[in-house]
Amino acid sequence: MSEPVTTNPFVIMLINMTVVFIVLISLGLVINLIHAIDPTKEKAAPKKEAPAPAPAPAAPAPEPVSADGVSPEVIAVIAAALASYGYGPAAIRAVRPIERDGWKNAGRSFGVQRTLE
Amino acid sequence: MEIINAFVISLQAVWADSGFSAFTMGNAIMILVGLVLLYLAIAKEYEPLLLGPIAFGCILANFPRTGFLEDPGLMLAIHYGIANEIFPPLIFLGIGAMTDFGPLIARPSTLLLGAAAQIGVFVSLVGAMMLGFTEKEAGAIGIIGGADGPTAIYLSIQMAPHLLGAIAVAAYSYMSLVPLIQPPVMKLLTTQKEREVVMEQMRTVTKFERICFPIVSAILISLLLPPIASLLGMLMLGNLFRESGVMDRLSDTAQNSLCNIVTIFLATGTGMTMSAESFLVPQTLLIIFLGLVAFIFGTAGGVIFGKIMCRATGWKVNPLIGSAGVSAVPMAARVSQVVGMKAKPGNYLLMHAMGPNVAGVIGTAVAAGTMLAMLK
Repeated sequence: MSEPVTTNPFVIMLINMTVVFIVLISLGLVINLIHAIDPTKEKAAPKKEAPAPAPAPAAPAPEPVSADGVSPEVIAVIAAALASYGYGPAAIRAVRPIERDGWKNAGRSFGVQRTLE
Repeated sequence: MEIINAFVISLQAVWADSGFSAFTMGNAIMILVGLVLLYLAIAKEYEPLLLGPIAFGCILANFPRTGFLEDPGLMLAIHYGIANEIFPPLIFLGIGAMTDFGPLIARPSTLLLGAAAQIGVFVSLVGAMMLGFTEKEAGAIGIIGGADGPTAIYLSIQMAPHLLGAIAVAAYSYMSLVPLIQPPVMKLLTTQKEREVVMEQMRTVTKFERICFPIVSAILISLLLPPIASLLGMLMLGNLFRESGVMDRLSDTAQNSLCNIVTIFLATGTGMTMSAESFLVPQTLLIIFLGLVAFIFGTAGGVIFGKIMCRATGWKVNPLIGSAGVSAVPMAARVSQVVGMKAKPGNYLLMHAMGPNVAGVIGTAVAAGTMLAMLK
């Protein structure tokens, strides 16, 4: 076991914070690099844009556009939830499941909280 | 007469061998501490899944003459798993399988918030050294500010094993108090206008990115900081189980059965380090105080860096997500969400705060690694 390089607490703090920032910035650069070389990125992009125009023509229609599997009851619940947050006069133009599972993961994370940390 | 003598001698022998004859006031106080912790876990639901076994371990540790740490058996095996850093990496395997790094991958700049929130760790380290703790002890105490139980235990075992009980109890207690500690600091350091900032929707993260991230992160961080290779390696392995899409059974085991089993061992074993002679010392109170300092400064560091990012990005980052950088997944992110919603109803910050939140887990492990490399 070697002797510590310094016993000055402020120097220890400075060095350690610098290292933490360098390592996490490096990780950030790696994430950007992965995104840059991602071969599936081009395929994902048009897929994301494709459903976007769909709601536009549906705008004047009184019935919201819904994806397959989304029942009118679910649309009604979503509309009620939005209304409870003060979005009463707004029109729902489209209802479709999103690709990302952020809220589902938020629920999972809540479970983590109960078991860990 | 002979029968009575034999009876008396036998009774004396039983009494002399019993725990009562060696029971001290310190043991009684620690059993009381264990009962209070059990009350907090069961009645108040403060981190019950962890505080419960820790409290019971504390009670067990204060029965004299059990020989738990000398005689081969389950208790010695549990202690071996703690003393030899087996359980914290296994817990990290489960955490990795449960963690969605998507928000972090979508917005890598939030890594800076996870780094900035580690200032609490080092402010606490400075404070501990000024109060007379050694460098190693100060490092182990400071990591409480990382709000990451397994990392705190991992570092304490290596740098100050005699303080493990106090550090673990402080870390888990403050983590359960995050919703009380953080909001005043967040409100004090931000303006109403800053709290009302609405953040843009994050980009979609592809499966390719989700799979590459744990692999590349494990390689990069393990090469940079070998002392935490087992922690980060297991975290990223668990995450690979989750994201690969072809290892669902392993992912399920890591995040449920295995994680629960190891939690029982880790928490009970941690409680069993809380013997009267190691816990009933003045340093325990200082550690609990320094833990609070670490949490407050960690929160402040994240929020202040969030304010810098808010200005630098032209008011596109809500500074409230910075406080989530102290890890405490996902409670700290939920605190950001709640404080943000109070400032502007309908402003959902939860997923934005998950980025710095999981960055904080990595940041705390990195902070532990740098301290191990520098101070051990």
